[in-house]
Amino acid sequence: MKLIEKKHLVAWGAFLLIMLLMPNFVSNGTLRIFIFANFLAIFAISWDVLSGRTGYISFGHPFLIGIGVYATAIMSKRFGMPVEYSIPLAVLITMLGSVLIFLPALRIKGSYFALVTLAFMELAYQLVQVVRPDLTGGTRGIFGIKTLTRGAENGFYMSMSLMFAVAFSAWLIMRTQLGTALSALGMQEESLEGSGKSTTKLKLAAFMLSAFIAGLGGAFYAHYVGAIAPRTLFDINFLFTIIVAVLLGGSGTIIGPIIGAFFLTFLLEFLRPYLPGAGRYFIYGAIALLLYMYQPKGIYNLLEKLYQRWRGGAA
Amino acid sequence: MTIKSWLKPVVSGVAISAISMASLAAEPIKVGFIGSMSSDSGLSGLRAAEIAIDEINNTGGVNGQQVELVTADTREDPTEGIKAYEFLAESAEVDFIVSSSIDDVSLAWMPRFLEYQIPTLDTWASYVGIIDMVKDDPEGMKNYFMNVASDEALATLYINFGADVLKAKMGFESVVILAEDTAFGEAITGLVTEALAPVAGIEVKEVIKYDITTNDFAPLFSKAEQSGADFIYQISTVNAAGLSAQYVKLQVPLAMTGVNVAALGHEYWTDTGGAGAGISTLSPIPAVGLDLDPVSAEFVATYQSRYTSRPVMPHFNGFNVYHGLKQALAAAGEVGGFGDGWSAAMEKQDLKLMKDGELWLRYGWWQHDEIEPVTGRTYPHNIRFDLSEPFDDGAPSMVVVQWHEDGKPYVVYPEKYANGEFVLPSWVPAK
Repeated sequence: MKLIEKKHLVAWGAFLLIMLLMPNFVSNGTLRIFIFANFLAIFAISWDVLSGRTGYISFGHPFLIGIGVYATAIMSKRFGMPVEYSIPLAVLITMLGSVLIFLPALRIKGSYFALVTLAFMELAYQLVQVVRPDLTGGTRGIFGIKTLTRGAENGFYMSMSLMFAVAFSAWLIMRTQLGTALSALGMQEESLEGSGKSTTKLKLAAFMLSAFIAGLGGAFYAHYVGAIAPRTLFDINFLFTIIVAVLLGGSGTIIGPIIGAFFLTFLLEFLRPYLPGAGRYFIYGAIALLLYMYQPKGIYNLLEKLYQRWRGGAA
Repeated sequence: MTIKSWLKPVVSGVAISAISMASLAAEPIKVGFIGSMSSDSGLSGLRAAEIAIDEINNTGGVNGQQVELVTADTREDPTEGIKAYEFLAESAEVDFIVSSSIDDVSLAWMPRFLEYQIPTLDTWASYVGIIDMVKDDPEGMKNYFMNVASDEALATLYINFGADVLKAKMGFESVVILAEDTAFGEAITGLVTEALAPVAGIEVKEVIKYDITTNDFAPLFSKAEQSGADFIYQISTVNAAGLSAQYVKLQVPLAMTGVNVAALGHEYWTDTGGAGAGISTLSPIPAVGLDLDPVSAEFVATYQSRYTSRPVMPHFNGFNVYHGLKQALAAAGEVGGFGDGWSAAMEKQDLKLMKDGELWLRYGWWQHDEIEPVTGRTYPHNIRFDLSEPFDDGAPSMVVVQWHEDGKPYVVYPEKYANGEFVLPSWVPAK
């Protein structure tokens, strides 16, 4: 089987085409929902590249995203740096920050690793409030950050292009030897070591790639929303939303986190007019629970099975 | 040309125009409400909006147009606030937004306001930085109004309470600050340490910060006692009822005042299990315990006949929503909608609510070039407040409310609005 088949490229092309044409078919309100879904998809891909592939479950992903968000917000807002510099620098700083999470991964794994990464998120939450609040905005955060786009359509194209570029690049990388090795790392780290591969280098690659995506998504997110607050970034709910998006869509894939992110975001927003209060979160929780109970491999796997059944029936 | 031949297009034209006019008249004005729909303050605002809109619709609407309410929950979360504002603007396509958002949430949706330019009224958020934005960018912010006194104005009057009551009357020389670790806690801590204490001549002995998940306050009270301060300044918005109840149950031998959000609602006494005496809090106006003017009292009567669940009495933002929404719709009625002329018409709205022949509450606006005499600065599009006796230009920016041991709230400062004395709890020795 070829690693990259024509049908894959056709599927990516069709996906891109549909997304490009989307503003012609949906309202601006729906485009706004797409924008948040696109950003959540980027964060979910970033988490999955690390945790879904290597098995190192990170509870500190908001820490990485937060570095990207704060770095570009501080550089552009406080120091007047143009975004064309602040965003790449923010990505670089996020990658450097990921080394902090990477170091524990050299010694611990499993639930211990997850707890250590959770501590990083909590630490970041505390630090941004007390260390140089003149720069971080303290507990209130930073508002009035330069926004890159105005209008739903522009915001949609910006977020969609970014999400597509991230998803397609990650998909290509996962089809290289590196991607295969990362998956092997998640399945049998010891066996991989035995085969002579440097698991340390592989882990570092996974962390760097994940941080690159998190930093990139975070930096663009900051310049989309225009205001950031520590309690929404370094927040357990934000972390769970990312993880649930991956698990619902299907971990260990690229399209899974995208499906999960779109499903979650649209479900909540479509329920808003009918259940404007907290009721929609009960529905969301119940659907997520049912899906995960009866379809633990995610929606992508379910769609694949349905497709296979349809093809079998058609044949 | 026969009469019939020219009559036909004329009749058709008139018919089409009539149908268009009818459909235009039937098109409702959409008002969006943005705020938490599970908190007492959020519900106060939402219910007040429902009452105001029903009253307007029952009297024929705005120039014949009925008003429709669309709600968007923020869950007091800034990101949800952005989504809620986008929903109101782009999906519900509202004409006007009334907000009961907390400061963080208003700051989060502010970029969306700047983008959509939908006329918006804030009734809870009081961050003076937003008023500064109106000062700096009058054109971009022309459709934004805030009808709660900005925190700077609120603080200025509160400093007088420190000097007049805490220092002069009670003889307090030193304070220990017990503040929750939030944006609000940090802001008020800054106010007390940098403004209230130096101006009133009160020494800050210690600042004790606590996490909002704290349930056991006993060690914190012990620490406060050990600081040797004369009184505790609490800053509490989350689990504030729990903090108050433990203060009373532990009979902490220090007076405690400050900001206690739980004490701003009528449910405070039952929330603390009757253990809430002695607590005093700064409150935007109209506060719990405040004597009301006849118009506001009628609003409360309507509210209480319609809603039986908590909050049984609207919080201050409920009054602001009720009066402010009516003013916004009146301005729209004057200029034919929420278009270009609305902001200027809104600036002219000025509701003076009298009580016993005196100005009691005022819903008017500071204009762009007007300098407030006490602070010496401008507050464009902020509610018109008054910072000095005899409060004949507007209501004070805040009052101080104290819950007494009879289970009732009393306004204890400033004097004109006071209906009770600032007293020490019975277990606290006088200085």
